[in-house]
Amino acid sequence: MAMNYNAKEEADGHPGGVGAVAGGSGVAPGGVGAGKSRKPDNTAFKQQRLPAWQPILTAGTVLPAFFIIGLIFIPIGIGIFVTSNNIREYEIDYTGTDSASPCNKCLNVSWNSTPPCTCTINFTLDHPFESNVFMYYGLSNFYQNHRRYVKSRDDSQLNGDNSSLHYPSKECEPYRTSEDKPIAPCGAIANSMFNDTLELYRIDGEETRTPIHLNKKGIAWWTDKNVKFRNPTGDTNNLTALFHGTTKPINWPKPVYMLDSEPDNNGFINEDFIVWMRTAALPTFRKLYRLIEKKDNLQPALAAGNYSLEIAYNYPVHSFDGRKRMILSTISWMGGKNPFLGIAYITVGSICFFLGVVLLIIHHKY
Amino acid sequence: CNCWLISCICAGEENWVDSRTIYVGHREPPPGAEAYIPQRYPDNRIVSSKVGYCPHPHLFHQVAQLCSLIIDTPTSPITSGLPLFFVITVTAIKQGYEDWLRHKADNAMNRCPVHFIQHGKLVRKQSRKLRVGDIVMVKEDETFPCDLIFLSSSRTDGTCFVTTASLDGESSQKTHHAVQDTKAFHNEQDIDTLHATIECEQPQPDLYKFVGRINVYHDRNEPVVRPLGSENLLLRGATLKNTEKIFGVAIYTGMETKMALNYQAKSQKRSAVEKSMNVYLIVYLCILISKALINTALKYVWQSELFSDQPWYNQKTESERKRNVFITAFTDFLAFMVLFNYIIPVSMYVTVEMQKFLEIGEGPLVNTSYLNEELGQVEYVFTDKTGTLTENNMEFIECCIEGHVYIPHVICNGQILHDCAGIDMIDSSPGGSGKEREELFFRALCLCHTVQVKEDDNLDGLKKAHPSGRSCLYISSSPDEVALVEGIQRLGYTYLRLKDNFMEILNRENVIERGFLFDFLQTNIFKSHFNILYFTFLGEIFLFCKGADSSIFPRVAEGKIDQIRARVERNAVEGLRTLCVAYKKFTSKEYSSVQKHLQDARLALQDREKKLAEVYEQVERELILLGATAVEDRLQEKAADTIESLQKAGIKVWVLTGDKMETAAATCYACKLFRRNTQILELTTKKIEEQSLHDVLFDLSKTVLRHSGSLTRDTFSGYVEISDSDPGSNWTSEQWNVVYLGVCRVALADRPIVKLIKLSKEHPITLAIGDGANDVSMILEAHVGIGIIGKEGRQAARNSDYAIPKFKHLKKMLLVHGHFYYVRISELVQYFFYKNVCFIFPQFLYQFFCGFSQQTLYDTAYLTLYNISFTSLPILLYSLMEQHVSADILKRDPSLYRDVAKNALLRWHVFIYWTFLGVFDAVVFFFGAYFLFDNTTVTSNGQMFGNWTFGTLVFTVLVFTVTLKLALDTRYWTWINHFVIWGSLLFYILFSLLWGGIIWPFLNYQKMYYVFMQMLSSGPAWLGIILLITVSLLPDVLKKVLCRQLWPTETERTQTKHQCLSVEQSTIFMLSQTSSSLSF
Repeated sequence: MAMNYNAKEEADGHPGGVGAVAGGSGVAPGGVGAGKSRKPDNTAFKQQRLPAWQPILTAGTVLPAFFIIGLIFIPIGIGIFVTSNNIREYEIDYTGTDSASPCNKCLNVSWNSTPPCTCTINFTLDHPFESNVFMYYGLSNFYQNHRRYVKSRDDSQLNGDNSSLHYPSKECEPYRTSEDKPIAPCGAIANSMFNDTLELYRIDGEETRTPIHLNKKGIAWWTDKNVKFRNPTGDTNNLTALFHGTTKPINWPKPVYMLDSEPDNNGFINEDFIVWMRTAALPTFRKLYRLIEKKDNLQPALAAGNYSLEIAYNYPVHSFDGRKRMILSTISWMGGKNPFLGIAYITVGSICFFLGVVLLIIHHKY
Repeated sequence: CNCWLISCICAGEENWVDSRTIYVGHREPPPGAEAYIPQRYPDNRIVSSKVGYCPHPHLFHQVAQLCSLIIDTPTSPITSGLPLFFVITVTAIKQGYEDWLRHKADNAMNRCPVHFIQHGKLVRKQSRKLRVGDIVMVKEDETFPCDLIFLSSSRTDGTCFVTTASLDGESSQKTHHAVQDTKAFHNEQDIDTLHATIECEQPQPDLYKFVGRINVYHDRNEPVVRPLGSENLLLRGATLKNTEKIFGVAIYTGMETKMALNYQAKSQKRSAVEKSMNVYLIVYLCILISKALINTALKYVWQSELFSDQPWYNQKTESERKRNVFITAFTDFLAFMVLFNYIIPVSMYVTVEMQKFLEIGEGPLVNTSYLNEELGQVEYVFTDKTGTLTENNMEFIECCIEGHVYIPHVICNGQILHDCAGIDMIDSSPGGSGKEREELFFRALCLCHTVQVKEDDNLDGLKKAHPSGRSCLYISSSPDEVALVEGIQRLGYTYLRLKDNFMEILNRENVIERGFLFDFLQTNIFKSHFNILYFTFLGEIFLFCKGADSSIFPRVAEGKIDQIRARVERNAVEGLRTLCVAYKKFTSKEYSSVQKHLQDARLALQDREKKLAEVYEQVERELILLGATAVEDRLQEKAADTIESLQKAGIKVWVLTGDKMETAAATCYACKLFRRNTQILELTTKKIEEQSLHDVLFDLSKTVLRHSGSLTRDTFSGYVEISDSDPGSNWTSEQWNVVYLGVCRVALADRPIVKLIKLSKEHPITLAIGDGANDVSMILEAHVGIGIIGKEGRQAARNSDYAIPKFKHLKKMLLVHGHFYYVRISELVQYFFYKNVCFIFPQFLYQFFCGFSQQTLYDTAYLTLYNISFTSLPILLYSLMEQHVSADILKRDPSLYRDVAKNALLRWHVFIYWTFLGVFDAVVFFFGAYFLFDNTTVTSNGQMFGNWTFGTLVFTVLVFTVTLKLALDTRYWTWINHFVIWGSLLFYILFSLLWGGIIWPFLNYQKMYYVFMQMLSSGPAWLGIILLITVSLLPDVLKKVLCRQLWPTETERTQTKHQCLSVEQSTIFMLSQTSSSLSF
């Protein structure tokens, strides 16, 4: 690149020597600032004579940059694209709006329907899912990023603060108290926690349904589970006592201390709960539900074949025109299936390369 | 401030009287005197600290602020409040500090003790307790506490010496005269018996004008009336010198003193950049309001279905549900306003303020730092000739008496010989009557002036050794006169002094002649000094008159007019300044009638000047012409070079002069304003009489049209004479535009022409430069006023926006500093708008995906700190340091100035380009992140990111893009730039790590906890950030490169050329080093 360092030396005197003229501001009484000399200090900085590097963006200097960007971006893009394409993803919409769907009967389910409406959807995987499979649930048209919703939580309460447990933040209104007892966890987010239960079975032959082990740990951020979310201080083995004096969120069937049987996944540190509490950026989103770990190196995590998904349909979405999905996906180093990044890299790389060529022509012709 | 004006008007209504009457020492006049209108005067307190604090023009933000307190805001009050708070604090601190300094100075002033006379005794009081009418005693080296009428002095002749250095900067001592009838009162008791009233005009800011009269009552007689002029007035702020003590009566006190009035009267000038800035601001305000309106409307459309408004998972509270629809709509609108208010770059004002504050003033004395960038926009330069273009270092060249030319033998080996023998008589020796005339001429020149003699040899400055060994120094406000007196001294006549109205001169025979000075008139019409003097000489009364040819010739009745006129014209062509001298004899009878008229006119309180002028007109008739003088005023060093450069820079230079066309033209040729091929357009009264003005101009425009292809800019120049009869008001801007360089003989003040051009259709930016008091009006009128600290006092410098010592400094000031300042400030303005669009537009887009619920995309801390710390320093540094072309090149190649002319960098298309770039970048950030996050996971462990990670990603890309964009625009990278640019990016990262790294105990939300770290742990986020930054910067880089390659501006060409050159040079330098090391 054509750049040069030049220590500027200005031989020509600037119109100095005026510094002696005091009292520039004229008739200000006492001549404010009259005493101090206006002549700048004779430092390199004040005189703006620091050594400087003066690059210019010319076709000549930018050309190589364009080619380099092109040459780097295109392979990266291809790499990402290929990786993304190798990812297996399978998605089932189980909302049940379609009358033929097995879940159609549950469409107008309400919160407190007991026993839960259950439905089963069978599906076939044509290709095996070789590596670990991640099971997501997806919601559409669900505005988890609505402002009223986003702020309707009390982080101190969730962090185990006992005073917040009993006096939740005002932000939680109208999900702050119920029957004069503070709600734990308070707020709209907690109140609307996703409560469908999804179970996966492999169908071998006619009747044999083998349940697939779904790992419910490791779905939340480590820091969330271990630092940000904490059960109230006290004897963690007796959560019931800890949450004494609070009540369950209105829509929940069970209180927070009965979310899970395992004590390290119960209360505020229940991972499903933590996952739900991380509000999604967009109205169509997915959240990690379970992990299907590969048992050994020889077998794929999910082999090709028939499967059935059993759903305890509790979560009403029809009232706001929402959709529910279950997604099975493998993951690469760059996450799930997303062709955008690869295509974008390839496009930008090609554009840069093309522009480089155009600039080269212009540079030589003009 | 307005408050002051209003109070002024109110006060005015209360007691609006043309004049004020003051009882000296508070003694009532004898009954029977005129009815007295009681008036209230302010006390002698000076308050220069501003009364009220006028906040920033951002009322809007305060409204937004207020809203955020009332309504439920999307951002916490701290978030939106902090930047504003910061703005107000910074300005308040700056103003408060300046105010505090002023207040302190005021207090010191108001408390300082003053000596009063009370009941014949001397009393010490604080200055602020002084009242109008009090008699005050001032000792040597003390400052006058208020405006005083000079009653008596310890000097027997009733004079005192005063320096007004702190008022107008003139360090020379001025003589003031006590009132004739009171100068005998020398001590406290005497002065207490004085019984007098003073009538004078209401206070006005002109330092050099004062009209009043004093009535002195002696027992029961009719009062003696005496005129009072500015020579009797001692101004606050001036200092008493060389006089033991004086007595005076206070007439103007406190804020009514001329000094205080002057301080207030100075108006603020605003620069074109500031104006554009405000226009853009209004545009952005409209964008903001329309954005808020659109979003509010869409919100209600979207909410029309109940399941969108209140889905079961997100219910409203009871009180929210009950609220009136219109009220909620309005609060929603306000909430959107608060959310988007960052698009208005409040911090820009702070940055501009800080930039002005920190701007490195190089050399020129800056009075108004708000106009720095205006220096890069000048289209018209109005320059005074004498003292500005020329040295104002006059040298007496020759004189012509009765047609005979005398040249004092001047230069010999560069030294001036004071030799009276060295007179070259060009013509043959004059005869007897000629001899008499010759002596009269010399005497006239010797007497007819306002020169003062300083017998103080330890004064520095010009020192003149008197032939007889006595050291004396001539001082005058006009160097012309000094030159003449010195010239005459070389011809044998020496002016010695003025004592008790007797003037003493030393004639050729070394005999001291004394004459009584009856009266002394000085008029300053037509910018040519016109002094008249009555003098008895050998029992006769003479009127000597010295002035410009144009004012003398019409009044002359006798003398060798033709010969002298020819000589005057010849000298004028050579560029010499000519003056004519005439005289007139009076009989004592004639003189006494003149005396009476004069006295009448002088006592008038109203129209005094007009009446005086009438009397002068009567007296100065039928003069006898004696001769003429020629004085040379050399051009200032590099004046020609400067004018040439300005001309190349596309600036139209107008020289405003009072000289004849020939003199002016000669100077203009000398300073390259006119050239050989210049077609001079003459617009003189004479020419216009022959041909109507319209025709002349019509011809001119025809010529211009004919030459339109081949017209070079210096083909046309004009000499325009504007006299009283033709104010030039019917000139249009096109006609002015034709004349690229002009010389203008201005009969009135300079102001009309400057105003005329300033207000012409294109509103060009004007610059006026001058050195004398007569240029002040022009300096104040023009957009930028520059004063030259010259020999004609400091008034011009005091009233100017910038003061420079020499005309040649104008070149660097405009071409280098003006250019730099303009480039810097315009980039600053555009960049601020750009970066705020980038900042807020994603926020706007996000509303479409969050149900128009005013959800913020970024975290509170980011919202607050974006403008305060993440992106503020690089642009501030840029606005202080940037040198897109080196200063040397700018100076060498004036045509580069054209690239920034006419506000080029702040024109609409540039502004729109920046705004669109901002919108484009914002779209890239937002949708880039959108597609990256859309319904998929971006981590390798399958976990999902939430909305805060989304916002953080957008924000990270935003901060990087915006900073790198500035980095791409920076042409001048010093280590400080590197430090600040990379430093602020690093700061952003460190801040984010810290902000997300801890559960902050004092916050009630932990939404950012580990968000940034989690984002960095994801590969696609990195790739996405890199991609988005590249895409956002790409169009701008491409545009720059293509424009530079295909349609380069002059500046860009120079940059490229210079770069190649310096590379070559360094190679050559290296080669030569190598060879030299080889040879040794």
